Amino acid sequence: MIEFTFVEPDGTEVPVRAKEGDSVMKTALNHNVQGINADCNGSAACATCHAFFADKILADLPPMDANEDDLLSFAASERQSGSRLSCQIPVSAVLSGQKIVLPPEQ
Amino acid sequence: MKPPLFDVTIAELMRDPYPAFDKVRALGSAVWVESARIHLVTRFDDIMTVERHHRIFTSENPQSLMNQVMGYSLMRKDDKPHRIERAAVEPSFRPGVVKKHWGPRFQDIASDLIDGFRARGGGDLFGDFAAPLASLSLIDLLGLEGVAWRDIAEWSQALMDGVGNYQNDPDISSRAQRASEAIDIAIDRVMDKHRTEQNPSVLSSIAFAQHPHSIDQIRANIKVIIGGGLNEPRDSILTTVLGLLQNPDQRTQAQANPKFFAAAFEEAVRWVSPIGMYPRRVSEDTVLGDTDLKEGDQLGICVGAANRDRNHFTDPEKFDLNRPRAQHLAFGAGPHFCAGTWVARQLVGEIAVPLLFNKLPNLRLDGPVQERGWVFRGPVSLPVCWDQENTNND
Repeated sequence: MIEFTFVEPDGTEVPVRAKEGDSVMKTALNHNVQGINADCNGSAACATCHAFFADKILADLPPMDANEDDLLSFAASERQSGSRLSCQIPVSAVLSGQKIVLPPEQ
Repeated sequence: MKPPLFDVTIAELMRDPYPAFDKVRALGSAVWVESARIHLVTRFDDIMTVERHHRIFTSENPQSLMNQVMGYSLMRKDDKPHRIERAAVEPSFRPGVVKKHWGPRFQDIASDLIDGFRARGGGDLFGDFAAPLASLSLIDLLGLEGVAWRDIAEWSQALMDGVGNYQNDPDISSRAQRASEAIDIAIDRVMDKHRTEQNPSVLSSIAFAQHPHSIDQIRANIKVIIGGGLNEPRDSILTTVLGLLQNPDQRTQAQANPKFFAAAFEEAVRWVSPIGMYPRRVSEDTVLGDTDLKEGDQLGICVGAANRDRNHFTDPEKFDLNRPRAQHLAFGAGPHFCAGTWVARQLVGEIAVPLLFNKLPNLRLDGPVQERGWVFRGPVSLPVCWDQENTNND
């Protein structure tokens, strides 16, 4: 299990113990995290599982494909350097101890 | 199992489904409605559960009329077979492609339509604007050529009637068959071009997909998009216009700041969802909310009801574009989340509705509005008029 923390839009921290290989989005849903909608349940179609990851780990995450890149530009909350769709990020040791910040709107 | 409902008629559902939806929602998570011959699921949270467990609540259905009428399309597949075909069409529907490539085309089509009728000072926005705009946009998006808007509108209606032909009416079947053959011919006419010249159209995206498609796969998926991709933009244009015309303060707000037209579209599809119900089949004995279900049970997933669930929306029967932004189910959820979502947002909220209000001064209702349907719902007539003096020519 990998431990990391979601930071809800209101600042509430939700620490989680996640199964390696599950998506970050699925982990959020399993822990009843409110700041993720995940309308399309991980199909990379809706841009409602937008999350901000720390810049220093971005290079260690799986690369972003053209579709995710496109969707992020149309997410409800403005894209930042650490923006990713959390359905495209599998839980791995890279996330250990990280804070994953959720945007004000999905 | 919950006790069945015998006192809800199809006529009542067609006229105004919301009282029946309320009745079902109060009774249980899945309630057999005798007239519709299906278990209706109307609560928001239950529908989220269904869409998060697509192996138990499957889209696959061997007896589906849709398969007989359109062929075996991605709508009736799950998991990898669905993913492969969905990924094939996806490049045409990406929001960036929609904005940069399709947006300007939709803008031209909408402008030409309005310029063609605005001297008349009034008309019915169903036949004068929403139906031709949705049809012409879909022809472009698919990559069809030499197809008249009334043809694709007729094909779409004939296919949808065929899919709902549970009474096995031979006239409805043969009309659907003719539409199906006409679509095959229209695809054959352009397919070589799309195979050789890569472009953003759906046919070209499929032709250049990572996983090659058989002609049957191509035909079935194009038919699903024609059957299901025409009435939603048409109906949501009309519903958005209706919501704004009935609420002058919100109309003023949107005309002062166009970002509120986008909010008006999102609220309109929550308020009167163009797809009110879609089917799922129970693949193993299970429990949904407070209701036991058996393998083989047919469910009608009523997103039109969920979008008026009082546990999720305050005064859900009211059109309010200033509602706090919240998840709605008008585009469905899960792996079958509407592929055309970003097209609809662009076409309706960014282009069609703002253009109407900007080009037609003092646009107002001019007669009774008729809304109809429960599986698909929207205005079937929207009579309006506008001032003709000082008409803006740009």
